[in-house]
Amino acid sequence: MNKKFLFVLSLLMIISMSLSACSGSAATEAPASTDEKVEIRVWGHQAPAFNAADQAMFDAFTAQNPNVTIKYETFPWDVFIQTIQTSLPAGNTADVILIPGGYTCRYAAGGQLLEVPADVMTLDAAKEMFYAAPLGGQTCDGKLYGFPAEYNIEYGGAYVNPALFEAAGLTYPPKWDNWDAVVADAEKLTAVGSDGVMTVAGLHYANSDQLFTYFLAGILEQNANYFAEDGKHFNFNSPEAIATIQKLMDMAQTNKVVDPIIFNADSEWVGESFAQGHNGIGILGSWYAGDAKLAYPDLKFDYVTLPPMMGSEYKFASVGGWGYVVGKSTQHPDIAWKLAAFLGADQANVLAFNSTSGTVPAMKAVAADPKLLESAPFIAATLPLLDYGQYQGFLTDPDQLAYEIVYPTILDAIQGNLTAEEAANNINTAANEMVDAAQ
Amino acid sequence: MPFPTKRSHLFRRLLRHPCPPTRSALGIIMAGGAREEQERLAATFFILPQGMPMQITPLFKKEVLGDSGKLMAKQRRFAYTGIVPILLYMGLFTLFPILWAVVMSFFSYTPIRQGTWFLGLGGQNPFVGIDNYIELFTGTGKPAEVFRLAVKNTFLFTALVLPMNLIITLPLAVLLESIGERFKTLFRAIYFLPTISSSVALVIIWSYMYAPGWGLLSIMFKAVGLVPPKSWLQDPNTIYFGVPLAMLCVVVAHVWQDFGYNLVIFVAALQSIPKTLREAARVDGANIWQEFWLVVVPLLRRTVLLTSVLTVISSLQVFVIFQLLTRGGPKNQTQTMLLSIYENAFRFANNLGLSAAMSMILFIIILILTVTQFRILRTEWEY
Repeated sequence: MNKKFLFVLSLLMIISMSLSACSGSAATEAPASTDEKVEIRVWGHQAPAFNAADQAMFDAFTAQNPNVTIKYETFPWDVFIQTIQTSLPAGNTADVILIPGGYTCRYAAGGQLLEVPADVMTLDAAKEMFYAAPLGGQTCDGKLYGFPAEYNIEYGGAYVNPALFEAAGLTYPPKWDNWDAVVADAEKLTAVGSDGVMTVAGLHYANSDQLFTYFLAGILEQNANYFAEDGKHFNFNSPEAIATIQKLMDMAQTNKVVDPIIFNADSEWVGESFAQGHNGIGILGSWYAGDAKLAYPDLKFDYVTLPPMMGSEYKFASVGGWGYVVGKSTQHPDIAWKLAAFLGADQANVLAFNSTSGTVPAMKAVAADPKLLESAPFIAATLPLLDYGQYQGFLTDPDQLAYEIVYPTILDAIQGNLTAEEAANNINTAANEMVDAAQ
Repeated sequence: MPFPTKRSHLFRRLLRHPCPPTRSALGIIMAGGAREEQERLAATFFILPQGMPMQITPLFKKEVLGDSGKLMAKQRRFAYTGIVPILLYMGLFTLFPILWAVVMSFFSYTPIRQGTWFLGLGGQNPFVGIDNYIELFTGTGKPAEVFRLAVKNTFLFTALVLPMNLIITLPLAVLLESIGERFKTLFRAIYFLPTISSSVALVIIWSYMYAPGWGLLSIMFKAVGLVPPKSWLQDPNTIYFGVPLAMLCVVVAHVWQDFGYNLVIFVAALQSIPKTLREAARVDGANIWQEFWLVVVPLLRRTVLLTSVLTVISSLQVFVIFQLLTRGGPKNQTQTMLLSIYENAFRFANNLGLSAAMSMILFIIILILTVTQFRILRTEWEY
């Protein structure tokens, strides 16, 4: 009897503990009176510039709302993503989360995020206030779920190294009229050692984000679309897609401005490679300027505007950008939304955030504010492009599409192992299988 | 020294126990001496590394102990008090996740979809039977294709690591055993250092060594007039005897990091071989080579088996070095099962159902190897 009793007791304890650990608390309205002490939890990823900017705004918010205390919890990127993936469905999240743009619709569609109340902001008002691309990252099925804090743009700008330009006898800072001019300069910047190993890539565009960004942008610049007619599947083997891949291949194989076996996402990553003088023109978002200044204080560089690659007009897709959302499990939705709006919809605060973090503003008024460039001058190269961006759309699984399908396939092609047609067909097949598998 | 009659009786019974592992566990300390002495030692050290907790259980059984007096009842209570919290801990953090993974493998489950109240299963996370397993074995989707490649890569990695590890560790252990005690300890510590160092730090060191052009290995190659590969870790087109260069690089880094374990086991095993046996061989005219091959190696057969099985099992579960050094690239040439499970569960798609099915396949492979290990290790051995 004792053995059975102990066994049953142990089993019950395990099951009850497991169930209690896995069950989430339902969102309940608990409006706080002005005197009631309220603690609001905020989650974000660990990034010194972001965290410092957020903390300054939390201090300002709590000064205005003395009954509110804010518990700010940050996680390394991987842990952060895994934490929200498991905690949001379980209903154990913080009240306010600074979430990447591509993730909002995924969780909103699953009912795990609260819609922005109309008295806080309507979608129409948000369209007036924010650029379309970052706002797209915070909307789902025509509903607004958060406030974009920044505009993620990996397109249209590049880091240039003055010492390498000078050594190659090129004009600095460069002003390119078209993409051919960029490639011509890159050819002169490229250096190969006596052993045949490329020591300086004239133009490093073989990073994962850049190949993905320029693949989508190349299609859009030719006035085509990468979505199929149903809006869910993809049309990645169109003539425009093949032409874009061919262009990326030609720069490596004909112009030889990069050796993609040495220079790619896992070897000679564009940012570090640029900082070490291993590439003359490094295509990367302006966000890296802040990190480079901290990590390499003596590094001399500029961030300049690139011309369109496949057409005469700028067109690109953006993942959106980080934004403030409110989890469905919050016990204090009113205060959570008040804080989210304070962080993401107040012009002065947004300016402070973008200036401190060095991020591109999602708010139009902030982008037009001259004070922004005083603290983040590297953003200047991308500001003229912000109106040309569109939200990338619902890509089913953006990470899988970018990092497991598009990037490795195009890298394989530019390394000389696939033709442009083969690469486009492989991407198209794999991407549509991904969509089908998720149905 | 008098030996308690009851315990002496107990251990005599244990020595005749029908379960071979029980006998073999005790057998470790049965190297010579009187039977009584062996029993006394066995009584002192009956909880041995190979003894496993399950072999202690008979000590508390009425039929083994014969009389269940107050002392035995107290011992039973003590045992339960100690075991129940561990059982609860194991249940919550080991058994439940395993059961949960088994259940999930039969669902199209992802935590970002809303299921029913019962652990999120059902609803938008429907029951799919063995579809996940069928997909992994026959599917044309990217995750399934990559997983099948990952299975092949994992076995290739293991097949390379095992012989390389043994070829290095066994002779090195014999060399270590032959030098003075002070240097032996020093070298043993040096060789064991990588094993206890942070894997992340070691991978960073190796990534600098493998850096293309300016890495230490490339510089060394150039210094001796050789042409180094263009890229050690990222060139998908450099393949030697069917093995991608990137895989070879990871194998070398892993063996360097991991061989300390087997070295220590071999050194311990060599120390337990009675000197009389080796001396007898020498008296009979054996040279050092013959002594090694005809005396030492046969006596280490069981240890070689043990280290082989442990190395195989640990190789199947290597993750950090692949994740940080190559992330499965180039072209999935270093993609392993564990990396696939991680990427499908947490990096891409959040398809925990499919990942759970992958982990079940890995579990079954390791289970088969472990059962094989137990069967092999049941062989009688005494010296």
